[in-house]
Amino acid sequence: MQSQCILSVQTPVGPPVEIIRHTYPAAQSTQPTKRVSLVAGLHGDELAGLYICHRLMETLKNLEAQNPSAFKGEVHVYPAVNPHALETGTRLWPFFSADINRTFGEKNTPSLVAKISAALLDDLKSNSDLVVDFHASNLHLMELPQIRIIKNFEKKLIPLAKLCNVRLIWIHPHAEIFESTLGYNLNQANIPTLVIETGICLRINKNYCDPIVQGILNLLQQTGTLDLGETIAEVASPKLVQPDHVAMVHARSAGLFVKQMQVGKMLTAGEKIGDLIDPGRAREEVRAPCAGLLFTLREHPLTGKGAPLARIATEKPFTP
Amino acid sequence: MKEKVLSIATLFGAPLTLYKNTWGKPGGETLAIVSGLHGDHLNGVYLSSRLSQFLDNVIDGGDRDYTLHGQVISFPVVNLNAVQSGSRLWPYDGVDMSMAFPGNPQSETTEALASAVLEHTANSYWGFVLQSAPPHNEDAPHIQTLKLDGRIKKLSRDLKIETVRKLNESPKVSLYSQWQSRGMVAVTLSSGSPRTVNLPQCETLFQGIVNFMKAEGILKDRRKIKPDKNTAPRFYQPEDEVAVPAGAAGMFLKEVKVGTSVRQGQRIGEIRDLYSGKRLEEITAPSSGFLVTLRQYPIVYEKEPLAIILTAKKSWREFLSRRK
Repeated sequence: MQSQCILSVQTPVGPPVEIIRHTYPAAQSTQPTKRVSLVAGLHGDELAGLYICHRLMETLKNLEAQNPSAFKGEVHVYPAVNPHALETGTRLWPFFSADINRTFGEKNTPSLVAKISAALLDDLKSNSDLVVDFHASNLHLMELPQIRIIKNFEKKLIPLAKLCNVRLIWIHPHAEIFESTLGYNLNQANIPTLVIETGICLRINKNYCDPIVQGILNLLQQTGTLDLGETIAEVASPKLVQPDHVAMVHARSAGLFVKQMQVGKMLTAGEKIGDLIDPGRAREEVRAPCAGLLFTLREHPLTGKGAPLARIATEKPFTP
Repeated sequence: MKEKVLSIATLFGAPLTLYKNTWGKPGGETLAIVSGLHGDHLNGVYLSSRLSQFLDNVIDGGDRDYTLHGQVISFPVVNLNAVQSGSRLWPYDGVDMSMAFPGNPQSETTEALASAVLEHTANSYWGFVLQSAPPHNEDAPHIQTLKLDGRIKKLSRDLKIETVRKLNESPKVSLYSQWQSRGMVAVTLSSGSPRTVNLPQCETLFQGIVNFMKAEGILKDRRKIKPDKNTAPRFYQPEDEVAVPAGAAGMFLKEVKVGTSVRQGQRIGEIRDLYSGKRLEEITAPSSGFLVTLRQYPIVYEKEPLAIILTAKKSWREFLSRRK
């Protein structure tokens, strides 16, 4: 493994902010080889990606020692691309209150955050034929392991996403807010990029992360980046969800949401998901508007009116 | 007239209420002014309140010099929770309200607020977003725009603001872009530093907006006062901007004021080491020009822009001839 600092920034009081790329080179580099990059930690409170990268780096390190010829292509791992946010456990880089994943492709006078996102984007473009960007959910929602694909990118991405051992592939409509994200900018640059979303921030759910580790190894195997022989475990087939096959459940009033379900459950229409309670008024039961797979569920009890409580993947197109 | 536009139930207290001010009657062309998208952009909030006081006085007959003929609407505070939290963003959702448009009336607080503001302003003819500089910086009063056309030229002259800065882009999810896509004549007026109110800057912008309303016939002045000499705005393209980066991290001590001209080689300030006090870097202007943005908060990282200098200033005539 070779480690390279792609950007270093001195800080006023301590060690520099450094973005490190760890590279596992191809065993024979005489021919052009497949290059796959794995990125984690754009949001400093999303720790699942760090854990997945750690597990993968452990596996790749052992493989490098025991079977170096298995590396048919290059694997690049960027395990912590927003170091100060990671150190404080916050989504945003605290000094700037800025979301790095909303600054990609920015063309106005650059801030330091935009410089960092530009350096990362350039480095990924130079070193990748395929990128996986790991995310957890925010503080509010628990997500079943899933890959989210913006409509119009699905033709290229679905076959790759099916290799990653996630439970769900959600094809969702484009929204303008995505245009400043890493995934969108790489896909626009014709570098297929999978955005994996799993669990919830500030926690590591091994039951969700470990299958993704297997899935990424499978992706590396199937794309010809690694040759792991027969040792690769079989991966599950994800549920493919089209934009009109998702039922969103929103809070009709403010309250404390007390869940009574877990994500991953197959719901029947009318089944109770939880209660929305408020000391000043009657309890409101929250029920599934249709049958389907519960793939998002509110975890943070403090709930404002209109807040998302659940998402359900349906078998038929859903009309609210 | 202060009017309740949206009321959102909260868990523990009274509902969160979004207010809109309206002066004049619909029918003609409307000017919309929005401030407080970030909770720490207080120059705009103050300026909006100053305009409210002035227009209330005009409507009440307390100021007999003016009569209102058009319509003005304002949203002085939009990101109510962030203002109450004393922070740029509302900590609960961490959503940057300047990237929350067009919003969604059925969704959570921030999106519902954005949707209401857009709904109530989108039919206006003119739109001003009032903002402060990015975090840790101070802006000289200036106009930011995506377009430099005849309408913006006239608007800039009427606002009596000398500095007009064309941006490369504005996120499509900003209020400014949403207004532009609906054909409004819209600009962003930027001034001051987050978390502070700069009264002289606000007064400059206040007088500019009053002048704009007079020039557009929204406000009529009964006095026959000869207008001041016209302001000749200077227009700056993105390539006219020079960012001055910090070559070291430490404490930046500025030696110039924002809103002034600097000469190439002039000292802007210096960076000192926090432990030894030693000077790490002397910061000088790489080009002559107008200092539109200057670092306000002294602690700096390496590579951060400490200042933005607008160079090669051009009059409108010069700008047009270069485009040909």
